[in-house]
Amino acid sequence: MSFARLTRLLRSASFRLTLLYAVLFIVSAGALFAAVYVTATAAMQNDMTAVLRTEAFQLAEVHRRGGLPGLAEQVARRMNFRTRGPIFYLLQAPNRHVVVGNLPGMPPVNGVIDFVPDPGASEVEGERPKLMGFGLTLSDGSFLLVAQDANRLADMQHAIVRAFAWAGGLTVLLAIVGGVWLGSTFLRRIDTITRTSRAIMEGDLSARIPMRGTHDEFDQLVTSLNDMLARIQQLMDGLRQVSSDIAHDLRTPLGRLRQHLENARDRAKTAADFDAATEAAIVEADGLLDTFSALLRIAQVEAGAQRRGFTALDLSALAQSIGEAYQPSAEDSQHKLLLDVEDGVSLTGDRQLLAQLISNLVENALHHTPAGTTVTLGLRKRGASFDIEVADDGPGIPEADRDKVFDRFYRLDRSRSTAGSGLGLALVKAIAGLHGLSVRLEDRGPGLRAVLSN
Amino acid sequence: MKILLVEDDKQTADYITKGLREHGHVVDHADNGRDGLYLATGEKSYEVLIIDRMLPAMDGLLLVKAARATNVTTPVLFLTTMSGIDDRVTGLEAGGDDYLVKPFAFAELLARIRALARRPPIMAATALHAGDLEMDLLARTVTRAGRRIELLAQEFKVLEYLLRHVGEVVTRTMLLEKVWDFHFDPKTNIVETHISRLRSKIDKGFDKPLLHTVRGAGYVIRAPD
Repeated sequence: MSFARLTRLLRSASFRLTLLYAVLFIVSAGALFAAVYVTATAAMQNDMTAVLRTEAFQLAEVHRRGGLPGLAEQVARRMNFRTRGPIFYLLQAPNRHVVVGNLPGMPPVNGVIDFVPDPGASEVEGERPKLMGFGLTLSDGSFLLVAQDANRLADMQHAIVRAFAWAGGLTVLLAIVGGVWLGSTFLRRIDTITRTSRAIMEGDLSARIPMRGTHDEFDQLVTSLNDMLARIQQLMDGLRQVSSDIAHDLRTPLGRLRQHLENARDRAKTAADFDAATEAAIVEADGLLDTFSALLRIAQVEAGAQRRGFTALDLSALAQSIGEAYQPSAEDSQHKLLLDVEDGVSLTGDRQLLAQLISNLVENALHHTPAGTTVTLGLRKRGASFDIEVADDGPGIPEADRDKVFDRFYRLDRSRSTAGSGLGLALVKAIAGLHGLSVRLEDRGPGLRAVLSN
Repeated sequence: MKILLVEDDKQTADYITKGLREHGHVVDHADNGRDGLYLATGEKSYEVLIIDRMLPAMDGLLLVKAARATNVTTPVLFLTTMSGIDDRVTGLEAGGDDYLVKPFAFAELLARIRALARRPPIMAATALHAGDLEMDLLARTVTRAGRRIELLAQEFKVLEYLLRHVGEVVTRTMLLEKVWDFHFDPKTNIVETHISRLRSKIDKGFDKPLLHTVRGAGYVIRAPD
């Protein structure tokens, strides 16, 4: 791990968070330690005092019954047996003469005392002759002291401190190791996101953040980021496609427009020449305006702004009247336009856009099939849903082109010579999308079928 | 005809004003919404208001709403840019009577102004006629010189619209909008084929044709003199 990486790690949010938790843990462990230390010490002290007090009062009872000699005998016996742990005794006559005992003589003190007996003058073992005693002045003025090794308490306190020191040290160590590990894990994943976004900023729009497959929050974040990127790329591609298409497809009519105007200026000799040239120029200009408004319409429909104008409408009546509108034109171009529209299909949508959608499909079928072709406009109920269908028995569309014909300005090679902007089906797709309809082209062998269904 | 034009683009305004004056109309022009409202609600009464949607000082929609609020009933023709498909609906809701998308052919503007100015009081009529052509709106029958003519439903509607505007030029776009409710431009000659079928039914075999094509403008039904 390089120094720079370590510095980053120490600055990372997850590391700082881990550290904060470690500190909090240590503080709470400290509080726990203090509580244990104090209560354990107090409990042990109470316990020791109780033992000494009981011993002292038992012996005082012996004194009351048997006097000093009786007591001396009892103490001597207890000193020899030591049945209840290392207990030290001192029995002093009122004249401070030690009657019996394994502690040096001392001035009488009543109650609990901590003291250090003169070294050598006692039988206390060990190097730290610290004792805890209970002194009692008896009725005849003699003094009884019962004592215990106070180092037991200190030993226990040391044990507690040691245990907590170990545990605390381990906690801090684990916290740091865990923090480093957690921090670097998160950092690694965030690094991949940062790297990907940099790659995208530098122009690689296809870059995506790799997934770890753990399905955790990071993977979820990565998934939605990737989906967002895909959507943005799709929009960008669309935009790029449109601008290059516009540049490409509008050059030709603009060039022709210029030609007509040039003709009018340079070659028109008579008023009729001039009229013809201007008329041709106007036709070109109208064509251009049509293309522009079709593009704008597609853009607006794709943006979904039209949904405001949605109303409930009778799709059957709409399809029927559109079919009837086209029948004379179809006859004139030696096509047969059949209507197979079921009654009672209604839909919530934009009447104008749906009319344009159906018209575009019918026009496509009429314009791109030879004379003698039969075109059928159908509307069929399928339970709660419906199919709008425009079918013909013409030459059809090669399978490879069937998706592409929905792209803006895409035209089949054989249609290049016929009039049209190449935007009709793009608009169909956009309008269908706005209304939640799916649109597909099917081979009818022979012929083509365009089906819209909800 | 006295017309008020509210349009901020000077070139468009000059083009429209000049054209309308050439056709014998009297045109007042305001280049912002506030002045437009002042003129529209002033003492001078106009027969048609032509109002651009996007105006400085006061938006065209607001202008018409304000004018309608002061009981100005003058027919309003909205001019819209081609970007606004919703404009038609919002314009009609605000009190507009018709709309025209810029850029437009001048003949289209003229035809629409004429259709607006003489808003037909004949809506309640049960029969329409031109010369010896009679249309019975209740029985849905058409006769010419007493001879019954069979028309398909859409041919009947085209003829009805033409007869409601006898003597006035009706454009292709107007027919698409009023007969078929198509507010887009189909790439097929729907109007032309219906007109030609209608013509063969009502004019064929008669000396004087009633249905005329006005080049570069549209169609008109005219009673023979």
